[in-house]
Amino acid sequence: MDTKTKVAEKESSLLDAEELMRAPAGAPLVPFPLEVRVTEAGRQTPAVGQRAIRPDARLHGLGQTKYIDDFYLPGMLYAKIKRAGVASARIISIDTKEAEAMPGVMAVITGRDIPVNSFGPSLKDQPVLADERVFYAGDGVAAVAAVTEQIATEALDKIKVEYEELTPVLDPLESLKLETPGVHAPSANIYGHKIIKKGDVEKGFAESYRVFEGSFRTQMVEHVPLEPHASCATWDANGRLTVYSTLGRITLGRSDISRTLGIPMSRVRIVATIVGGNFGGKNEITTEPVVALLSKKTGRPVKCTFTRPEEFLSSTTRHPLIMDYKTGVTKEGKILARQIRLVLDGGAYCSWSETTLGKACILSAGPYVIDNLYAEAFVVYTNKTMTGAMRGFGAPQVCFAYESHLDDIAKALNIDPLEIRMLNALREGSLSPTGQTLHSVAVRESLMQAAQRFGWNEKGNGNGAQA
Amino acid sequence: MVTVTINVNGEKRTASVAPETTLLKLLRETLNLTGAKLGCDVGDCGACTVIVDGKLVNSCLMLAGQVDGLDVLTIEGLATTDRLHPIQKVFEEKGSLQCGFCGPGVIMSTKALLDENPNPTLYEIRDALAGNLCRCTGYTKMIEAVQAIAREGTLERTTAKSA
Amino acid sequence: MKAFEFVAARDSQHAVQLLAEHAPSVRVIAGGTDLLADLKFSSHVPGVVVDISRAHDLRTLAITDEGLSIGTLVTHTEIMRSPIIREMFPALVDAAHTIGAVQTRNLGTLGGNLVTAVPSMDSGPTLVALDARVTVAGPAGRRQMPLTEFFVGPRKTILKPDELLVEILIPKENLGKPTHFLKFGLRKGQALALVNVAASFWVDWDRNVFVAPRIALGAVAPKVIHAPSAEAYLEGREITPDAMAEAGRLAVGDAKPINDFRASAGYRRDMIAVLTKRALEGAYALAQSKRKKT
Repeated sequence: MDTKTKVAEKESSLLDAEELMRAPAGAPLVPFPLEVRVTEAGRQTPAVGQRAIRPDARLHGLGQTKYIDDFYLPGMLYAKIKRAGVASARIISIDTKEAEAMPGVMAVITGRDIPVNSFGPSLKDQPVLADERVFYAGDGVAAVAAVTEQIATEALDKIKVEYEELTPVLDPLESLKLETPGVHAPSANIYGHKIIKKGDVEKGFAESYRVFEGSFRTQMVEHVPLEPHASCATWDANGRLTVYSTLGRITLGRSDISRTLGIPMSRVRIVATIVGGNFGGKNEITTEPVVALLSKKTGRPVKCTFTRPEEFLSSTTRHPLIMDYKTGVTKEGKILARQIRLVLDGGAYCSWSETTLGKACILSAGPYVIDNLYAEAFVVYTNKTMTGAMRGFGAPQVCFAYESHLDDIAKALNIDPLEIRMLNALREGSLSPTGQTLHSVAVRESLMQAAQRFGWNEKGNGNGAQA
Repeated sequence: MVTVTINVNGEKRTASVAPETTLLKLLRETLNLTGAKLGCDVGDCGACTVIVDGKLVNSCLMLAGQVDGLDVLTIEGLATTDRLHPIQKVFEEKGSLQCGFCGPGVIMSTKALLDENPNPTLYEIRDALAGNLCRCTGYTKMIEAVQAIAREGTLERTTAKSA
Repeated sequence: MKAFEFVAARDSQHAVQLLAEHAPSVRVIAGGTDLLADLKFSSHVPGVVVDISRAHDLRTLAITDEGLSIGTLVTHTEIMRSPIIREMFPALVDAAHTIGAVQTRNLGTLGGNLVTAVPSMDSGPTLVALDARVTVAGPAGRRQMPLTEFFVGPRKTILKPDELLVEILIPKENLGKPTHFLKFGLRKGQALALVNVAASFWVDWDRNVFVAPRIALGAVAPKVIHAPSAEAYLEGREITPDAMAEAGRLAVGDAKPINDFRASAGYRRDMIAVLTKRALEGAYALAQSKRKKT
């Protein structure tokens, strides 16, 4: 036997062999599944009305579902992003030398390193990492890849950023005024505008028995998925990128990664696994281009997971809305005219604001027959966390407004809140605010069934009395 | 470094980790038991819930050194090679989990409850699960599952020592 | 979390030794529910963390000559289950139950809750209302003081880095004193208190008057405080719903609540009046039910 083979042979003690044979503690020693489950619904047609077990339920219950943060690639590094901590500023300089010199730090990048530093589902106004300007406190200004998460986090403190702080715009009504300096100057802060006009509201108000006004506000809401945003990037020697990510919209993600990294989409592969809650908050890229660039720079896979504070600060939220309603009604409570102004707090970047603007505006009238309608909606920039997609896209906010408003009207007119809705609700063939003929309209039937189940009329709820 | 020996899911394991390593990190990164999750890292969400020495705890709030010599039961220790734990089975049948991220924590909390109180009232179930946040389900089907298991009365009392 | 060293204490004496050895850059870990939550995202960590969770002499719970002695390491769950405490001080059980959730109650200790000293702490008001005293151990030995003197301000106690809270004592004369605790938070579970009230008094059944009334308020001042105006008003006064309501109104004046993102000072003041009255009612109900038993 030659020397090479001899050196390659290793004497292992019985103890080592035992260690090698061990499976992770608690993992059953037989392959899964325990039994193959075939749901009834799979066997029968029609499936509607049949009980079906979720296919992922087995793995969830066993704790075997692998989320992005659960798996590990050999040689993997951990990335962390430094957050600006200031709402509006010019970046004068970024000094990364001390961080780069730290033992265990393998790469540091800033906005300068991003080939095309802008993306977004509609307006491409969001940077991967802030370059010259910071537009909200959660803007990323630099990113570190290190051998442990601890070292990466400590390296962030060593990155010195010099800011020239600017006055932030925080109130959307302030931002609406044309004199207010543009957050993304030189253009004004209104970056989306929609009007829906139907009939003649002035005529409708003139004919009304009474005109009611109400102003409503909703707050910024964070999705708080139990699983924080996470992604892991790795390249192959052919220059193809694979990103494992919690991203929900992976086609859009591929497009954004291709754009920001300046590589063809055919070189981008996204693997999205079972996500631990999305609700709209994981609809666009966050850390993906960052880990991709760090991976390219280091030649190793790189994973980045948001901390819970980062989830609140640096991930998209639900738009706060300021909603002003003016409604003219007959003595019986029939709506003759409605005028609405919506101001959406559009945060630091557009994200899904245009979609939200559209939905909010269309739905702001409520599910009621209104022949004379004028709804005008604005979305404005502020120096706050980006507002984007969250289940409903503007619907929950306006619902709060128009239902509260109708309750106020019912109370003032001494009309049962259920009756006023039955009177005004959309019916089969009604026209929507945008002139669409509606079918399968079950508003009144649903209200009646609900009222029956709640025992609405028995509880003496007529005349606007509360239960 | 601290050297820690724990009896995890009935098997003895020794590890040498940095002193500031939490039990959660020890389980996930050193022992590859990724069932316990990191949701907040400060003991608010319960995604990291495991049973240490028979007590339900947030593993993100214990240091590795504190569990030296103790028994630790994680989600991976409930099923055996030939059957699911009754809690896992009923959760599956009732459709109690959606994204599943909170699942291991909720199931451990349910086990701790039923081990001690096989017939809990609705209030007692809600109190027992109050430390496990879920953003998907609204908790209703989890509670129904716990009530169903209590009614069936077929729950086996597995301990950390059995696999 | 940033790096630190870890050492485990065998008992309270060893713990004091270790603290002295590693002071001033040293912190104690018991349940870890406050300490680790603080350290996780902190830019400063201690050089050494001393684990006292194995110090069994700090786990005692017993009636002694001096009163009810509770070791610093007794957890909130253990308080909820202790037959002595359930019998004698259901208010302590109620207070423990309002803390966090099952997981945090299994780890969190009574001593830890007091040492963290947030003004909204849940275990403080009942103990203050019962004139509790605490024992602190240090290199120079042990010393005892009223709990009210142990607290200095928000997150500040008299403890020096080389000192350890070892015992909480409810004095002999207060054993079995009817006490009721109420917490008002934004949620029923895992909630920070907006207002905490504990009320404690003996009843002179012959004259139906308050004897030795104590009202303690939490989350409405830099530390847990008494409501001296309310207490003075009630002493020797006939027990009536009006008297309880008036005491509630007087307690408002003794408090210094702040405006913050959770609630306004005005709202907290309103709640002080309501909760004080209800806490007094609860203590009275307890006194009556105890009387029926004897």
